[in-house]
Amino acid sequence: MWQWFFRLGSPKWFYEMSGKWLPWLLVLMTVLMSVGILWALLFVPQDYQQGDTIRIMYVHVPVASISLACFPLMAVAGVITLVWKMKLADMVAKCAAPIGAWFTAVALATGAIWGQPIWGTWWAWDARLTSMLIQFFLLIGVIALRSAIESPDAAAKACALLAIVGAINVPIIKYSVEWWNTLHQPSSDFSMDENSAFGPEIWVPLVIMIFAVYIFFVISLILSTRNEILQRERRSQWVVDIVAKEQV
Amino acid sequence: MSDTANTVNISQPQGRAPLAQVSTFSAFKATLKRDLLIALKRRNDLLNPLMFFLIVVSLFPLGVSSDPQELTRIAAGAVWVSALLASMLSLDNLFRADYEDGSLEQLLLSPQPLYFMVLAKNISHWLISGLPVVLLSPLLAYMLYLPADAYWTLVLTLLLGTPVLSLFGAIGVALTVGLGSRGLILAVIVLPLTVPVLIIGAKAVVDASLGVPLGMHYALLGALLALSLSLAPLASAAALKISVN
Repeated sequence: MWQWFFRLGSPKWFYEMSGKWLPWLLVLMTVLMSVGILWALLFVPQDYQQGDTIRIMYVHVPVASISLACFPLMAVAGVITLVWKMKLADMVAKCAAPIGAWFTAVALATGAIWGQPIWGTWWAWDARLTSMLIQFFLLIGVIALRSAIESPDAAAKACALLAIVGAINVPIIKYSVEWWNTLHQPSSDFSMDENSAFGPEIWVPLVIMIFAVYIFFVISLILSTRNEILQRERRSQWVVDIVAKEQV
Repeated sequence: MSDTANTVNISQPQGRAPLAQVSTFSAFKATLKRDLLIALKRRNDLLNPLMFFLIVVSLFPLGVSSDPQELTRIAAGAVWVSALLASMLSLDNLFRADYEDGSLEQLLLSPQPLYFMVLAKNISHWLISGLPVVLLSPLLAYMLYLPADAYWTLVLTLLLGTPVLSLFGAIGVALTVGLGSRGLILAVIVLPLTVPVLIIGAKAVVDASLGVPLGMHYALLGALLALSLSLAPLASAAALKISVN
């Protein structure tokens, strides 16, 4: 029953299978992203309050939602690393950290660009912004720990543990920041919950963009993990064969 | 010399009883006593966090303003942030000396549950570096013109909050104990984790001076303390095993 699970953990199996998935994922992402972007930029009606500015939502919301998924992903990979000592899980966790940090940074940057015309400021200590910023710090911490520990094995376990501790903390941080924020200042009039009131001409392209960016994240993660596999398994025969073949 | 003597004391308490027969509680007490003794013999380790706390707090008037009204506004946050930084700075002592002289390995090899051994080290560390900061805080709060109604809240929130900082910090120290340059990476790892404590603690002190009821603040801090008391030593123990191997 567990056989598929352990086969999934074999770097060689993953390298071969992901090589087959990549072209399909690329095609799917290109189609979804071009449809989503064109729809969002050209055909979505202007917002009655925000005008054309609303269109940045189609980048900001997908990126932000994926950056939130990054810590749980790393924590799950961490549990797999610690419990089953699966090398692949650690490679994925290692590659997910910088990608997640980039997504968080992009979410913060697009949020600032969106906030400038709407709130009149690039930065506000809003609950969502603040907890995003702290999540960014947490990811930087994991990356820093990884680069500080020389032995890859110890680094894998240490980062797995830190990711789990961080994942337990992320909701606590999120709720404490929200609690702090609602008491400090009236919460901003901007809320994503209003989405539910939007018509389908607004949210359908948003859903398309979320899927497109999700696939983009998966592709980045797979590409980065494949590099990591080649680097770590460089002494095994199948990697030597692949490199020899590519050079011809 | 005293280090080795005390290490022997842990592994062979009460004459020559076999190690596995030593009860968890007496091993806990022995670890606690040993750490307290070592700390009492190193006066600097006792004094440095306090001095650091004092200096950082006195930087705020110099950097912000000497105007009592402005200082009153920032007092709660300034004292809390300084306490946070002081506890971060003192964390480095937590496992390092034990790591360097090998007694940490003895601790990991002992048959008693590592959770309690780590908890004992955490408690003694907090008694030595956290409690003095808490006791000194009213004086510094006075220097920053904190309203008088908030003094007890400040002491109580620090009393509940600084152990959480020590417990969280211990995880970071345990993860980085084997590394050459730890200072900054420790702060980068641990500081984001301490955000909830800072938020609730500082907010409680501000609210106390405004006359807001504080039940929820204490409940939240207590919940964080209970959570970190039960889980953080487990994480530290696991991290120590990773670092020492």
